[in-house]
Amino acid sequence: MVANSTVWHIDCKNDKTSNIRIDLIDESPFHLKGSFPGPEGTPYQGGHFEVDIVIPESYPFQPVKMKFITKVYHPNVSSASGAICLDILKDAWSPVLTLKSTLISLQSLLCSPEPNDPQDAEVAKHYTTSKNSFDDTAVYWTQIYAGGPGPKEKGQNAGSKSEARDEVAMAGLEKAHVDKFESLGFSRSKVIDVLRRLNYRGANVAKLTDDRIVEELLK
Amino acid sequence: MSSDYEFSDDDGDYYVDDEDMIDGTQDESGQSDDDMDMDAYGDDFKVVPKGKRKSYEVDYDSLSQSAVEKLINDDVEHICGIFGVDASIASLLLRYMSWNKERLIEKYMDNPSAITVAAGITVPEPPSPSAPIRSGPSSATQTTPTARRPTRSSTSKFPSFGSSKSTPSKTPSISPAQPFATPRAAKSEPFVCPICFDDSPTLRTLSLDCKHAFCSGCWTAYLSSKIRDEAEHAIRCMAEGCALVTPDPFIQSVLVPEPGAPAGDPAEEAENAATWARFQELVVRHFVASNPNLKYCPYPSCTNTVSCPSAALKASLITVVPTVSCGARGVGGQMSQSQSQPAQSSLGVAGREHRFCFGCPIESDHRPVVCGVARMWLKKCRDDSETANWIKSNTKECTMCQSTIEKNGGCNHMTCKKCKHEFCWVCMGPWSEHGTAWYSCNRYDEKGGVDARDAQSKSRASLERYLHYYNRWANHEQSAKLSLDLYAKTEKKMEDMQITSALTWIEVQFMKKAVEEVDKCRMTLKWTYAMAYYLAKGNEKDLFEDNQRDLEKAVEDLSELLESPIEAENIPALRQKVTDKTVYVQKRNEIVLEDTATGFLDSRWKWNVTVDGFDDPEKSDN
Repeated sequence: MVANSTVWHIDCKNDKTSNIRIDLIDESPFHLKGSFPGPEGTPYQGGHFEVDIVIPESYPFQPVKMKFITKVYHPNVSSASGAICLDILKDAWSPVLTLKSTLISLQSLLCSPEPNDPQDAEVAKHYTTSKNSFDDTAVYWTQIYAGGPGPKEKGQNAGSKSEARDEVAMAGLEKAHVDKFESLGFSRSKVIDVLRRLNYRGANVAKLTDDRIVEELLK
Repeated sequence: MSSDYEFSDDDGDYYVDDEDMIDGTQDESGQSDDDMDMDAYGDDFKVVPKGKRKSYEVDYDSLSQSAVEKLINDDVEHICGIFGVDASIASLLLRYMSWNKERLIEKYMDNPSAITVAAGITVPEPPSPSAPIRSGPSSATQTTPTARRPTRSSTSKFPSFGSSKSTPSKTPSISPAQPFATPRAAKSEPFVCPICFDDSPTLRTLSLDCKHAFCSGCWTAYLSSKIRDEAEHAIRCMAEGCALVTPDPFIQSVLVPEPGAPAGDPAEEAENAATWARFQELVVRHFVASNPNLKYCPYPSCTNTVSCPSAALKASLITVVPTVSCGARGVGGQMSQSQSQPAQSSLGVAGREHRFCFGCPIESDHRPVVCGVARMWLKKCRDDSETANWIKSNTKECTMCQSTIEKNGGCNHMTCKKCKHEFCWVCMGPWSEHGTAWYSCNRYDEKGGVDARDAQSKSRASLERYLHYYNRWANHEQSAKLSLDLYAKTEKKMEDMQITSALTWIEVQFMKKAVEEVDKCRMTLKWTYAMAYYLAKGNEKDLFEDNQRDLEKAVEDLSELLESPIEAENIPALRQKVTDKTVYVQKRNEIVLEDTATGFLDSRWKWNVTVDGFDDPEKSDN
């Protein structure tokens, strides 16, 4: 089974056109990091999205476990944990699928959200009720988390308290987390900036310690 | 078969009369031939139900896995006969429709091709199983040509099975006997399995009607993973997006090598055979789960099924307690046949009958309480008992003012913050009686302490009320758990008796019978407390509690007799007493069960809370 994933690892490396990359996270060949560019013509355009991949023992007869490392504002992706709701990662998995084809499927999931089968109910509600506002947030998230180009006109400068609070929600951060670091004596906007930059998610995927955050805040 | 002991008048006489009757009654045991080897002696006590049944019993049937398989086969054959299709296809169709024959026939008559496609039997027309998104080697999959199979006569009977009009020569149906191998045409480019990329020329490839070919190794791994890890009985083709379901003969051909095939690794073959057996069990389980009249025995690794049509409707559960038994005993549903240690295998928890409630997930006999009340009680116990236990074990009440006190350190000389009463934490007696022995209280049984503890129990009315019932409930449960010890002890006593007196093995079985009866009655008693807790005050409850008290008293008496020491000279007397008591206890138990069951049927019981399915207590009072 390892041979299979290795084959596709090489396949992805050789394939320059799809821009899909797969890298080792640690020594284990069963824990990988995939990444792909946001699809054109979507709010995710220009972003660079990273996916945590865990290959189960019975791969390819059981599906690979994937979740987004990069925060994504999408109805089928949990904004908190990065968990992905996609049929081929569950019961529609086929042993013929590879890491590359699965990542391509993820990419196309970004193109065509399924708000009727949501992973993140809040986001899905946002998507169905006001598509424009959803797109704005998705573009904003792509900019701050996935290094996207950002919205066309830039007019956001966190100043007043109320705006800052909006920004916490806008950036998908937990108010409690922001408050925690703010209570250490850092300015709110700085905390938001750092947490955003470090892709902080509480007991998060990237396993950032509080010390690391504080270190970053002190810079 | 019912396993409740029923007594006709003749049987009652047997207990009263003396030993010579035993031989006479032996003939009766012939009525239940099946049980002969299981517990032959038990048949002295047991009478196979003769058409009549008690009002606290339900009619049920125990089916072995093969019996259920026979039911399945009947259904499948029925469908085969109507549709003129192969058994494997009929089975897939039935499974897709959750074994609802009527709906299947209706749908099939409506649009046969739609349902065969939906059930994953035929490739949709036009046959365009979505090609996997992939490049490179995978193209080999698509180009792999497959040899055509001989046309079968069933084609005409089942025209809808043509996977495509353009290929009329292809056999449309799946034949069970036919190997599913798709030998490669010699001239094509070498086959590469799209999953493991094995391109060895000796590779055995297999495919369904969709012609998605994979090597047999991948198929085996895939099927094992689906069956073992996911307990899946409808396994799709491995190709992406292909909705074709693997028929049983295909799975069998993959997992079980055909006779005459070269022998593989024996360990692997055994593993695969076990997987195939597991698959068959999964189909049975699906059938049982789809049929409201059937329920799978919940005991570990037991494969029996119980059929109980009278409890299939949810509404019936407020009047009957469908306690059923699959007939098997012990672990794995196999009563150990070892005659070398009959006592060991038939006594104790390991040999206990697989008795469960057909109507709810409680895996024990919760008679006489109906499912709704039993569930409520269990929930309450889970919710409340932790808090109650904590209060009980960590706090005490001041003997003067009944304030609840938690001791969080310090010595045992307590002074109540509220009333300044000084007392000893250990014995709860007044401190003045303690003199100078500050740190060790040896006055535990002093009158003052006893009084104090009594006073303590007078407060906290509702908690106390609950605890009253809970403790008794828990006590009987605990006793039931300890019955394993009692069984062991009784066995020892039975051995002693055979040595010290002239009694034979069969003649000392009364002890075992008595222990079993005590165990059974404790179960009943346990649940009567749950029932009493929820019963509304009134004459009915008083009567119920009278019956409960009589049973409890009888059970305790019998328990005591069983614990009493054995002396050679009083064995006959003891035997007489125990046998009499056993019959009495049995009768009392029957009275409790019978009376409660008729009460449910007459809707005589009123509850002090709202119970699912019953009238509101307030309304019913009017």
